[in-house]
Amino acid sequence: MSLLSILFDFFQSVFHLIWFSRNSITNSLSIYVKSNTGNTVSVDLDPKWDIKNVKEVVAPRLGLEPEEVKIIFAGKELPDSVLLEECDLGQQSILHAVKSRKKLVSESKPLCETLLDFSLSEISERAEEEETTLDDDEKIIPEKAHFYVYCASPCKGMRTGKLRVRCANCKSGAITVDRDPQSWADVLESERISGHCEEETCSSGPISWVEFYFKCAEHTSQGEMDQAVPLYLIRPNSQHVPCLACGDVSDPVLVFSCSVGHVTCLECFNLYCVSRLRERQFTMDETHGYTLPCPAGCEDSLIKEIHHFHLLNDEHYAMYQRFGMEEYVLKNGGVLCPQPGCGAGILVEPDCTRITCAGGCGYVFCRNCLQGYHIGECETVEEIEKTGTSSYAVNPECVSQARWDEASKVAIKVTTKPCPKCRTATERDGGCMHMLCTRCAFQWCWVCQIEWNRDCMGRHWFG
Amino acid sequence: MPTYLTIYLLPTLAEPLFHCSTKLYVNQLRVLLTKRLQKELLSLIKDPPPGVLVDSEKAEQNLSIWTIYMKGADETLFAGEEFQLQFKFSPKYPFDSPEVTFIGPNIPVHPHVYSNGHICLSILTEDWSPALSVQSVCLSIISMLSSCKEKKRPSDNAFYVKTCSKNPKKTKWWYHDDTV
Repeated sequence: MSLLSILFDFFQSVFHLIWFSRNSITNSLSIYVKSNTGNTVSVDLDPKWDIKNVKEVVAPRLGLEPEEVKIIFAGKELPDSVLLEECDLGQQSILHAVKSRKKLVSESKPLCETLLDFSLSEISERAEEEETTLDDDEKIIPEKAHFYVYCASPCKGMRTGKLRVRCANCKSGAITVDRDPQSWADVLESERISGHCEEETCSSGPISWVEFYFKCAEHTSQGEMDQAVPLYLIRPNSQHVPCLACGDVSDPVLVFSCSVGHVTCLECFNLYCVSRLRERQFTMDETHGYTLPCPAGCEDSLIKEIHHFHLLNDEHYAMYQRFGMEEYVLKNGGVLCPQPGCGAGILVEPDCTRITCAGGCGYVFCRNCLQGYHIGECETVEEIEKTGTSSYAVNPECVSQARWDEASKVAIKVTTKPCPKCRTATERDGGCMHMLCTRCAFQWCWVCQIEWNRDCMGRHWFG
Repeated sequence: MPTYLTIYLLPTLAEPLFHCSTKLYVNQLRVLLTKRLQKELLSLIKDPPPGVLVDSEKAEQNLSIWTIYMKGADETLFAGEEFQLQFKFSPKYPFDSPEVTFIGPNIPVHPHVYSNGHICLSILTEDWSPALSVQSVCLSIISMLSSCKEKKRPSDNAFYVKTCSKNPKKTKWWYHDDTV
């Protein structure tokens, strides 16, 4: 009996502990409230409060009456009845309190990452009338859905994100949207949705374009300039679509922009990128950069937001950056520094043949033969072998390394042939004589060292 | 003195690049390969296309080489004939296409099938996509056989068989005819 009562006492004290600690946590939501007259006050709010309570606390500190204050957050005016905890506020979030210009017309909850509140009924009505696009699907999900962002600092990786709104003209958050965004295009492209800017100093107000941006939801807000890049191809797998490579149903997934919307899990996306990267099979697109299409090869499926490649680990991302840089330089008529261990990209004027690796190793070389700079005609490969290191620009540091490098240089020269176009030393490990340069994509013949042609195919295709 | 302009884009990276991630990458590929092949094998055993049978015992012993028995469809030139197909999967499958050849005593006489078993079918090289599978390759081969109107070897059969590599994927195919 006594044992039981001791146990009971123990549980009761534990219960009290939990109860009190929870109470102290819920009471500490520290928020900044900004007025449209330039004042900012810091307040501690209870998430259980509604907006009416907030107005009563905040208005006197801004020298206003509670009735004439409007609270704006994430593009929406918050009605009195909404509870703070429904608003997706993080620590150090910023609420905007402005003096009313007119009476509140429609009441709706803020646009927030808990898409639960995202004019749910309106969209599901529309869904019954017409076929919805994929973009809208995520807004229909009743449970908590997320946006995904790349948070460059401090998180350095993919994180869940939240959607925020500001005035495209004065960048103030004290703006209400005239309509809700219906698709990713509404969010990503500018001048699609208008709003009412409450900032008194805004030159385009009161009617202005709204601008959507994203914040990382996983670290405390570091002010209004703390933004994250939306990884909009990454979506909650609300449809339970299996990955096209491994067949597993995972969440979240990456949905390619092709018309059928091919789906891969993030792990397989990573493997897809790495295997294409190692073969230099990325595409250099003029507008979007060094990127990839859908693995099924669909049309119009290039990844337009290259921040998606931040899903690669640091080492592979460095590889991506380096290859992308090289590709860009070669495409724009530049050259890569031939010095072993350097490889810096150098953009030069078309008629310049004497190139200095200025930002890199300082090597001075001839654009045509990629050997140390020389006056007069370029030497042939045989001549260079005969003269040895004497033809290189003499740099004491290089000379001290040269003895060690010499052995591998000889090995490279005997086992490789340069690509006739970009002169990359190429090794052939079996297969046919048809060479495809992995650096410049030039197709050449191992035997003739010229562009691959029908004649080579007939004479010595397989050796 | 010629003018020149240099733009330095990236800090110099030390030369032995990227070797740490290689091991991890290879391991992840192996996991994906096994997962994917086990799923495909299971679905091929449970729900095979008509006339297709996979040697499941052999495949379970070595997941990267499968033998598949295939019957010519009824009311086609190959009705009543039986063939054997061999699927070899590289470590990069499904991002890389499988190596598919006819093996065994009976190689179908078909304008796109060489007498050494090599098949000229674009989805096996250029048009491969990881969204395809063993099942869809089998269906394509069946339909390629079924649409045949005349049993004959490709016109360059003798030359090709003499000179080609053992691996059909090393051949640069010219897909000139989609009708047969």
